[in-house]
Amino acid sequence: MTNERWGMVIDLHRCVGCGGCDISCKTENNVTEGFHWSNHIIETRGKFPDVNYRYIPTLCNHCEDAPCVANCPTTAMHKSDEGLTLHDPDLCIGCAACMVSCPYGAIYRNDEKPHSRWRDEEVAIAGCTSSGKEVAEKSGEEIPHYNAERAETYKGIRPKGIIEKCTMCDHRVAKGKDPWCVESCPSGARIFGDLNDPASAPRKALAKHPPRVLQKEKGTDPHVFYIRDY
Amino acid sequence: MATQSTSEGQRAQSAGRVSRRRFLGGTGAGLLVASSGGPFLNHFARSSGSQAAAVQGQWMSTTCQGCTTWCPVQVKVVDGRAIKVRGNPHSTANHGQICPRPHLALQQVYDPDRIKVPMKRTNPLKGRDQDPGFVPITWDEAMSTLADKMMELRASEESHKFSVFRGRYSYLRDILYGSVPKIFGSPNGISHSAICAEAEKFGAYYTEGFWDYRDYDLENTRYVLCWGADPLASNRQVPHAISIWGEVRDRAEIAVIDPRLSATAAKADEWLPVMPGEDGALAVAMAHVILTEGLWSREFVGEFNDSVNLFKNGEAVDEAAFTEIHSNGVVKWWNIELKDRTPEWAAERSGIPADQIRRVAIGFAKAAPASISWVSPGSCMQARGGYAAMAQHALNGLVGSADSKGGTTQKTKVPAETVPDVGPYQDEIAKKHSKEAKIDQRGTLAFPVLAKGKSGGGVVTNNVADAMLAQDPYDLKVVIAYWANFAFSCSGTSRWEEALSKLPFFAHITTHASETSYFADLVLPAAHHMFEKWSFLKSKQNLHGYSTLTQKVIEPMWDVRQDETEIPWMLAEKLAERGFDNMLTYFKEQFADPETGQQPTNSEEFALSATKFFTQACWNSEHQDYGKYGDRLAGWQDFVDKGVWNSSRYESGKKWGAFGTVTKKFEFYSETLKKSLTAHAEKHSSTVDAVLEATNYTARGEQAFVPHFEPALRWGDEGEFPFVFFEHRSRLNREGRSANCTWYQEHKNVDPGDENWDDVLKMNPVDAKRLGLNNRDMVSVESPTGKLTARLKLWEGVRPGTVTKCYGQGHWAYGRVATQDFHKRIPLGGNNNQILPPEYDRLSGSTARHGGVTRVKVVSV
Repeated sequence: MTNERWGMVIDLHRCVGCGGCDISCKTENNVTEGFHWSNHIIETRGKFPDVNYRYIPTLCNHCEDAPCVANCPTTAMHKSDEGLTLHDPDLCIGCAACMVSCPYGAIYRNDEKPHSRWRDEEVAIAGCTSSGKEVAEKSGEEIPHYNAERAETYKGIRPKGIIEKCTMCDHRVAKGKDPWCVESCPSGARIFGDLNDPASAPRKALAKHPPRVLQKEKGTDPHVFYIRDY
Repeated sequence: MATQSTSEGQRAQSAGRVSRRRFLGGTGAGLLVASSGGPFLNHFARSSGSQAAAVQGQWMSTTCQGCTTWCPVQVKVVDGRAIKVRGNPHSTANHGQICPRPHLALQQVYDPDRIKVPMKRTNPLKGRDQDPGFVPITWDEAMSTLADKMMELRASEESHKFSVFRGRYSYLRDILYGSVPKIFGSPNGISHSAICAEAEKFGAYYTEGFWDYRDYDLENTRYVLCWGADPLASNRQVPHAISIWGEVRDRAEIAVIDPRLSATAAKADEWLPVMPGEDGALAVAMAHVILTEGLWSREFVGEFNDSVNLFKNGEAVDEAAFTEIHSNGVVKWWNIELKDRTPEWAAERSGIPADQIRRVAIGFAKAAPASISWVSPGSCMQARGGYAAMAQHALNGLVGSADSKGGTTQKTKVPAETVPDVGPYQDEIAKKHSKEAKIDQRGTLAFPVLAKGKSGGGVVTNNVADAMLAQDPYDLKVVIAYWANFAFSCSGTSRWEEALSKLPFFAHITTHASETSYFADLVLPAAHHMFEKWSFLKSKQNLHGYSTLTQKVIEPMWDVRQDETEIPWMLAEKLAERGFDNMLTYFKEQFADPETGQQPTNSEEFALSATKFFTQACWNSEHQDYGKYGDRLAGWQDFVDKGVWNSSRYESGKKWGAFGTVTKKFEFYSETLKKSLTAHAEKHSSTVDAVLEATNYTARGEQAFVPHFEPALRWGDEGEFPFVFFEHRSRLNREGRSANCTWYQEHKNVDPGDENWDDVLKMNPVDAKRLGLNNRDMVSVESPTGKLTARLKLWEGVRPGTVTKCYGQGHWAYGRVATQDFHKRIPLGGNNNQILPPEYDRLSGSTARHGGVTRVKVVSV
C-alpha cells in the first residue's frame, strides 16, 4: 500500500497577497507574536512607473531531503510516513541546528516562554481596562483564543527552550481536513492534497502548470510548489 | 475503541516515528477523543490545561464590520470562548470566504486595553494634553448622570442642543441615532457618512438616479477599470473580489488608476499612476476617446441620424443630428465639456501618457457592455470630486455597461422594517425643538449637500466641529457619540480636539479609550459588534443582496453594553425615572417580539426583540414580504443558525428606460442635478453660478449640469510645500480600529510598500536622492494645517513629486499596541488627519480626504 505524500501547490496567479493565511495560521496553531509559520516574501522591482510587485506566500516546505531532519541530533525533527516534516517537542533540546540548516527560515525557537503578552500585568488605564494576564485568566486558557485542537498532535503552545514550525496542520489533515491556511485562503490559491494520487487537486494543478520551488539549488526537494505568476 | 487506539499509538511510538497512517488506524477523530489519556498521546496532547478530548465547540454565525462589505462570517466558539473565524458558508455573496480582517477581530474582542467598566472624567480641564483622570463607575451612576444632563436641556427649552454622533453602525442605528434625538427633542442625529463615500453616491445619483454603491458583475466582465478602487484590499466586496480575481484576470483586462501601486494595481494589466486629484481629467479624456473613436453603445446611447460619426476633436455637434435612446444629452455633454478634452490635454494634467489613456479607453469600450468603470472614494472624495465621480460613472453609460451583464448594477431588495414612527411619542418640546436647524449647516448656501436630490439632504460630518466652535447655528451642550472617533477619523483633527474640549458634556460609547474618549466626561464600554451584540446589516456582493445578523456569540468578559439598543434602553429608563417616559414607552410598545408579541422588559430583551422586529420579513412566514425577494428561512431560529438571508440574483437590464433620474434616462446632461442645484439656489434667492462660486467649483453656466473636469484643489504653496500628499487604505484596517492588534502590526507589510510595526511615509527614491534623504530616516511631514512624524520608506510604487501614507496608524490613544507610548500619548507614526485640512466636496458634503488635497514638506528630524 502506498502512503499519501502530502504537499501543497500555491497558485500565484490566484494569490492576492492578503496575508489571510499568515493570520489565520496564528489562530489555528496558537503561534506567538514574532513567529510566522505561515509567512511571505515581498518584492518591488523596476522603476516608476514600470513597477512590478511580487508576493510569495511561504511556509515550511516539508522537504523530502530536509536539512532540518538531517541535522537534528535527537531525531526530534523527523519525516512522517506521509512526507510531512514534523517535530517532537519531547525530544527537542532546542539546539537550533534545524533553524540554522533550514534555507527557508521556517523554524522558530522559543528563547522565552511564548505569549508573554498574556501574562503581562500592566494596565493602560487603572481600574478601567484590564491586563493580558487578567484576560487570559478569565478565559481559562493561556491565551484567550487558545485552540485546543492544535494539541491533538503537537504541544498546543510550545514551551520555552524548543523550536517550533508549520506541521501542515497535521492535526486537521489527520481528520481528513485541509490545513487551516488552505481553508482560510479566500483566493483559492492554496491547493493541498496527496501528491501520490494522480487524481488529486495538487497533482492536477502541477500537470497543468509548470511548477517551481523555492531555492531549488539547495537540493532539498520541497513539497510546496508554486505555479503561475503573481 | 480506547484500547484499540492506545495500542495503535503504542505501535506508532515503538516504531520511533510518528506515523499518522497507523496512528489514525482509519478510525477518525473519535480515536483522539477516546485515547487522550493513553501513553502515546500524552506526548502530543498535553497543552495549556486543555485536553484534546475537550475540543468540541460550535460555528456560530455573525457579521464582520471590519470594512463596509459587512460579510457574513462564522465564529468557532469553544466553552464560551471565540477561537477562530471563517466565512459563513450559507452566504451566496462572499462564497463563504473572508479577507484577513475578521481574523483580527479576535484580538479586538480579547484586547486587554478594552474598557471594561464605565468610567468618568475627574479632571474638568479638557484637552489632548490633559489627563482626564478616568475612574471606574457603575452603569447606574453613568446613566443617571447622562439623564440628568439631558433633562437640564429639556428644562431650559434647549433640547436641540443635544446630539448623537454616529460613526459605524448596524441597521439598528435608527433607534439611537434616529428615534432618540427626535423623541427627546433634537434634530441632531449626526452620522459619519460624509467622511465615508457620499461623493461616490453623488456620481451615480446624478447620472442614473441611484444614491448608493453599485455592484459589479465580475463573473461576466471583460474589462475592469478601477478608479482608485482596490477591491482586493478594501472598500468593498473584498472577499468576493479576491475569490474571483483569478478568473477575472483570465478573462478580462484590468486597469487601475491610483497614484499608489495598490494591491489591485499590483495584479492589473495597466497601472495608471494618476497625479492625485486629476482623475476627472482622465475620465473626460476617456469619454472624448470613446466618442471620437465611435465606440459608444449604439444600443444604449443611440446613433447619428446618418450613421456618420460627427464627434471630431474640437468640433461642436448639432444636437438634432443625433437620436438618443436610453441616455440624455450626449451631444450636449460633448459640446459643453468633451470636445476639447483630448488625451494629450489630460496627459499634461494627470501625468498619464496620452497613448495609455487612449489604449485604456478603447479597451474598456471595446469590451462593453461587459466592462466596468468602478468608482471608489479615492477618485472622488476630493475637493470638487462629485463631478469626477459623475464623469467616471458616466463612462458606464457611454458604453452601455450600466445595468448590463458583465457591467455595473444597482441592487436587489433586502426586506427590513422601517423604524416605527416617533410622532405619537413626541411631546410639545420634542415637536418644537426637533425642527430646529441641524448643527452641521447642511443646506446653507455654501453647503448644498444635494443628497438624493435634496438641498441639505445629507450630513456635513466634518463641519460639525467648526459649527460647534462658531456656535452657528447654536452651541451643543450634551453629546453622545457611539462607534465614532471623529478626533482621529476626520481631517483637521485639531478642530475636533478644540470643539470637544469646549463641549460641556460628552458621553462616548466605545470599545476602547480612543482619541475621542479623551475629551469625554463619560466613557461607556461597548459590546464588540461581531461577538457580543445583536443587530443586523444589509449589504451586497456578487449580485446578491443579503441581510446578515450580528449575534452575541460569547458572553462578554466585561461590564459592556450593546451600543444601539441596551444603552438607549438604560437611558430611557433613567429619563423615565425623571418624569420623561416617552422614550421608554416607545421602545416597549413599538419593539414587541414579533413571535410572541411580548414587550421587552429589559435592555437585553430589547436588543433581541428589536433585531427580530427589523428582520422579520426574512424569517417570519406570516410577513407580507416573506420569500418574495430571496431565501425562505424557516423561522427565527433558522435565521440565527444560518445567520444570513440571501436575495435572489440581480437581473441586469431592467433599469434601461427606468432610471431614477428626472428623464428616466442615463443623464450625461443631468436634468436631475439641474433641478437640485436650481432648487438650492432658489432656496437662497441666488443663482446656480453664485452657488458654484460659494462652494468653490470652477464651473459656470451649463457646465454645472454635466460631468466635467474640475482642477485639483490643494492647500499649501508649492514653493514651501513641494510634495503632494495623499493617503490610502490598508487591507488590515478595521476602519482605523485594528492598530491595537499585534496581528495587524506584525503583518502590516501585506499593504504594498508598508512595513511591519511601522507607519511609513512612502516617497519615490528619485525625490529622496534630490533631498538627501535615506530609507528609514525619521521625517517630519508638515502641511499648512498640521504636522506629524513618520519613518521614510523609499519605494518605486509612488509617483515622484507625491508622498503617501496609509490611514489607520498614528494613534496617540486607543491602546498600548497602537501607540509608541500610551501613557505619554506618543503615537506610533502619525495620523494623516493631523495634516489633512478640513476640505470638502460641498455639493455632496463629503470630506475631501483624497485627491492630494494638501501639499506637504518633508524634512529629516
